[in-house]
Amino acid sequence: MECSFGLTGKDYVLLCSDMSAGRSIIRMKSDENKIKTLGPHLAMAYGGEPGDTNNFAEYVERNMRLYHIRNHYPLLPEPASAWIRRTLAESIRSRHPYSVNLLLAGYDTTTTKPHLYWIDYLGTKAVVPYAAHGMGVYVSLSTMDKWWFNDMNKREGVEVLKKCVDEVKKRITINFNFNCILIDKDGIHHINIESEDPISEYEAAQPKDTVVEAPNPPLDVGVTA
Amino acid sequence: MELNGGSVVAMIGKDCVAIASDLRLGNQAVGVASNFDKVFPVNDKLYYGLPGLATDVYTLKEHLRFRVNMYRMKEEREITPKTFTHLVSSTLYEKRFGPFFIEPVVAGLPTPTELDPHPKPFISTMDTIGCITTPKDFAVAGTAADKLYGVAEGLWEPDLEPEDLFETVSQTLLNAVDRDALSGWGAVVHIITQDKVITRTLRARMD
Amino acid sequence: MNSVLTQIQPPAPHSRLEEQDEFEHTDAAAWGSMAGFGNLSRTGGIAGMSVPRVADPTAFLDMHTDNMSSNPEAKIKIAHGTTTLAFKFQGGVIVAVDSRATAGSYVASGTVKKVIEINKFLLGTMAGGAADCQYWETYLGMQCRLYELRNKERISVAAASKILSNIVYQYKGMGLSMGTMVCGWDKTGPQIFYVDDDGQRLKGNLFSVGSGSTFAYGVLDQGYRWDLTDEEAQELGRRSIIAAGHRDAYSGNTCNLYHVKENGWDFIGNYDVNELWYEYEAKKKADRETATAAAAAPSPMAVEP
Repeated sequence: MECSFGLTGKDYVLLCSDMSAGRSIIRMKSDENKIKTLGPHLAMAYGGEPGDTNNFAEYVERNMRLYHIRNHYPLLPEPASAWIRRTLAESIRSRHPYSVNLLLAGYDTTTTKPHLYWIDYLGTKAVVPYAAHGMGVYVSLSTMDKWWFNDMNKREGVEVLKKCVDEVKKRITINFNFNCILIDKDGIHHINIESEDPISEYEAAQPKDTVVEAPNPPLDVGVTA
Repeated sequence: MELNGGSVVAMIGKDCVAIASDLRLGNQAVGVASNFDKVFPVNDKLYYGLPGLATDVYTLKEHLRFRVNMYRMKEEREITPKTFTHLVSSTLYEKRFGPFFIEPVVAGLPTPTELDPHPKPFISTMDTIGCITTPKDFAVAGTAADKLYGVAEGLWEPDLEPEDLFETVSQTLLNAVDRDALSGWGAVVHIITQDKVITRTLRARMD
Repeated sequence: MNSVLTQIQPPAPHSRLEEQDEFEHTDAAAWGSMAGFGNLSRTGGIAGMSVPRVADPTAFLDMHTDNMSSNPEAKIKIAHGTTTLAFKFQGGVIVAVDSRATAGSYVASGTVKKVIEINKFLLGTMAGGAADCQYWETYLGMQCRLYELRNKERISVAAASKILSNIVYQYKGMGLSMGTMVCGWDKTGPQIFYVDDDGQRLKGNLFSVGSGSTFAYGVLDQGYRWDLTDEEAQELGRRSIIAAGHRDAYSGNTCNLYHVKENGWDFIGNYDVNELWYEYEAKKKADRETATAAAAAPSPMAVEP
């Protein structure tokens, strides 16, 4: 019972996930953040078997951070996606597989290109311009097929995302609240997708008010003289 | 196999071979990506296709890339299609009791040697645990395999020149995947000849 | 003694139907106008459908037929996998469907007619079991004609859909598989009723049914308004079917489009899903190029700094 979307634009990538968490038919929480920031320009929206999800997300988060500390630079989106895929592919043939589906979104600071990866619990990876997991697959993929186009600016991208959220609220019997982030050259920022005009709000706000805390170890960590 | 969909076909021509695949990656009925390659090069005389479970496509591709690079460094020569087939086969059999859900197809032109100055074009295919078959005409695999057999059986003829082989393999693939709900969404064809590889993407049905 | 008798007797026919074996009627008189036809009685009522002669016909059918893909092991695969949609707007009703029929992953046909023309004013759509929809909607057409002859006026869409829902409700639990929209124009104006094999019957402005319905909804909802023009509405119906044909493996091939107006329905056309998809993609690209070109060109009204 979850739902997430991602879409790429000209120089940014948007990631959006529902915020419900619970057990069987009971919703215990409607403000759970299911988007994990993995680095200064990398984040993932995850879902799947409760328990596995958080555990796996934290495992990925710590490994990304470890790489960052060891090498003084973060893992770029492409190799990060390869590492996560491999972890899941090895897990699926293990005694206790992780059952986690995720959308990995990142901004490559070296090429200034946005990246989006659709990854499922088997370790299937697809490189896509826009994608969905969970309930969003059925109602919002076609919405994105129709309205998404190449090199959208931020306002256009958010408009498409709003259509997707709107469609889910209209057609899925479960009530979802949505949480949304935008990754660009300046890092990860929060977007209030439920508001009337999220981009104006975002632009009017101080950057520090929308920024999402991301693991970003100081450069001197781990450096020995 | 039926989870992600996808199909591969290979054909022998006159001093050339062709290998082609669709580009769909699906999650059961839902199409997820239309850029999912299933055919990969080993070198410019040897290609292979991996239709089946998409996670295993990646895993096996990376594993074979490693093994081929090791072979290249140790032997200081390129791997032949026949040796490569046995490499794939034994890699698959290693997982006899928990197999990769992949039915590989290999297509290549062996390089002429002193012992064999006029080697024949080579194709082979395997089941999920590595049993090899080396047909003399064409090899098919994937969710549209039965449809591919039907069309290929009707269209293929011996000693086709590269351009004619391209036409035959393209028509075979396109018409077969149009009758398969889980394959399609774009197609790519590689024609391997002694002096070059021709790669073309086809305008396939997108429904 | 009694227990032995019940054991050797054939199993009782389904209790809710007055079942008769159809072979009992195959004498010469049965073909005359005074007799019924097949399972239809002289009055056009349903004399009875034959059911498997086993203790529990429902369980028997469940075991051997692949009803809505729930039993992939079954040997008998019923053709299904569809996208159909219908919506009401200012100018009447738009009905759009795809034309693909699949059995398992095999595309059995790409030229299926999934809109059944019940009469000049009524259309029925077909999703689920092809035979179930075709048979019962044709039968519905017969009943609608009889109603007209008896009452000297056309049947309302509400009444027609009620006939259908009453029939399928009789057979509830016996493996009928249909999701249909009965669309038309009557005294009260344009109407759409959704009728399915559960016996559910819903009146509404906008419906989509089948495996690709969710994808169709995704385009339909975002483009739907009551005051759409005729052309806009037809385009929206067509675009939604193309979207579903693209994403859903079990939908596609072609789109059949109908428009129901006050004087009955019009067949608008048959469109190739693939050709239209490439057309839409090309248009998207062209629109984008003109937009960027317009943005790049200096505005004629621009004032130099």
